Amino acid sequence: MRFLRQLGRTCLLVLLVAAGTLALVRYAPGYFSDPREMDAEHAATIRAEIDARRETDSSSRAMAVRIVQGWLHGQLGTSRQYQVPVGELIRPRLGVTARLVAGGLAFGWLAAVALAVPLSMRLNSAGEAAIAAGSALLLAIPVGALATIFLLTNTGGPTLTLGLLLAARDFKFVYRLLRAQWREPHLLFARAQGMTVKQIVYHSLLRPLSPQLASLATMSFVMALSLAVPAEVLFDLPGIGQLAWGAAMNRDLPLLLAVTLLMATAVGLSGLVCPPALTLQEKLEPA
Amino acid sequence: MQRLALTLLLLLALSALFLGLRPHASYSAQDREQAAAGASALHPAGTDALGRDRLTRVAVAALLGLTGAVSAATLTTVIAAGVGVLAALGPSFLEGPLLLLCDAFLALPWLFLLMMVRSGMPLGTAPLLSAAATFFILALLGWPACARAVHAGAARMRCADWMTQGRAGGLRTTQLMQWHVLPRLGSLLSPQFLISVPAFLMAEANLGTLGLGVTEPLPSWGSMLLELDHSAVMGGSLWIYLPVVSLVGTLVLLELLVTEEARA
Repeated sequence: MRFLRQLGRTCLLVLLVAAGTLALVRYAPGYFSDPREMDAEHAATIRAEIDARRETDSSSRAMAVRIVQGWLHGQLGTSRQYQVPVGELIRPRLGVTARLVAGGLAFGWLAAVALAVPLSMRLNSAGEAAIAAGSALLLAIPVGALATIFLLTNTGGPTLTLGLLLAARDFKFVYRLLRAQWREPHLLFARAQGMTVKQIVYHSLLRPLSPQLASLATMSFVMALSLAVPAEVLFDLPGIGQLAWGAAMNRDLPLLLAVTLLMATAVGLSGLVCPPALTLQEKLEPA
Repeated sequence: MQRLALTLLLLLALSALFLGLRPHASYSAQDREQAAAGASALHPAGTDALGRDRLTRVAVAALLGLTGAVSAATLTTVIAAGVGVLAALGPSFLEGPLLLLCDAFLALPWLFLLMMVRSGMPLGTAPLLSAAATFFILALLGWPACARAVHAGAARMRCADWMTQGRAGGLRTTQLMQWHVLPRLGSLLSPQFLISVPAFLMAEANLGTLGLGVTEPLPSWGSMLLELDHSAVMGGSLWIYLPVVSLVGTLVLLELLVTEEARA
């Protein structure tokens, strides 16, 4: 029942995002402009195309109906830039982005948990300050700068870039959660009773924290999708992020709209697997 | 630590103000004889590929970034406070739709939403307008997470004894808000504001790296990071890293400020 309610909420959210995105795209001041207009050779053709679009998209309701009908028939529209169906552009790139995001998430989570478990158990205040400074430094590096430095020094790829930035963000939250947990009386008692660290970590630390960690995983997923864009662009990786960037640069709004909705659906579905991320955010931020 | 971070941030802002607005300093004037040059008496941090003074550009980028991020954070905090309080303490029929609206915004990865909105701007947008639009868009898209936190905080107050006492004592909702609710939410809004400033600086930098931020010739930290791409042909001058160092330095100081505030 709870799952069905959550599924219904997810569908409603995706519908809301679809309606909002459509409105945003249709009423954007640059909707009826195209960078190809600047090319004198094709300017006349492009202007004719824009005029035709102005006719067909004059009513936002008609535009919405046309787009939804297309989606129901499995067509995501036609890319303005490439003049091919959007689905054909997205399909081969899904795997590239999925591999990048999965690799980055795996690296980030393994690094964050592997560092946070021992450090949260042993650190004194000086160590905590050092950890805070290190984490602040990693969090302060923009993804573009890190990717460029990796490219220039030939030391890392997109997965490492994504993984490191996710590790810095996840570590901060995981460390804070574990630090509070280690101070719980039942854990102090378990340690005093001679339970091994391995047993405590598995039975009394990670398992009880699994709902919070699952929520954090959803937040990491959303973050990874955002970070994938600059990583793919800078490393010239033909994924969904690079496609979205190309669409944004060339004002290919049908393509951008489809990619954005795809992302909203992915985030919605990840929220179904894990409890809502906000529960954790609300728990952490007022503190 | 918080005082040190704040002092350093103020010093940074004052230096940027002094360097960016000093007489004869121009972020767009090109010295064609000195393109991609190293440090000299005329250009203490060298010049970029178009011969523009890097120190002036970094200073103006810092001023623009800090002003824009602080303004956007103020706006986003005000919106979040309004929406969060309205959802928690306003008419009960508004709570569900307002929280659903927050969730709809949060269901999209930020950068995709930003790219979509930013790419919808007209082609010939003026540089200053593009800067204002970028930070305004950040403010308009950045409030939902903060509003959820404010809602959680305000919802806890709904059943507080002092609230019941206030109502029983005949205080109107506006009076309760003005005298009791908003002052108490201050401790929640202040970290939210501080969290938003580095988040907006980072978002602008990421947009700029993708070529979707502030347009040329106005410098921004994001667009100046693009210079790193040309570092291989810039004769190995370390000054090319000045924008990234100043941005990371500012973000570290802001992050320390946030951590200390959250701890307090």
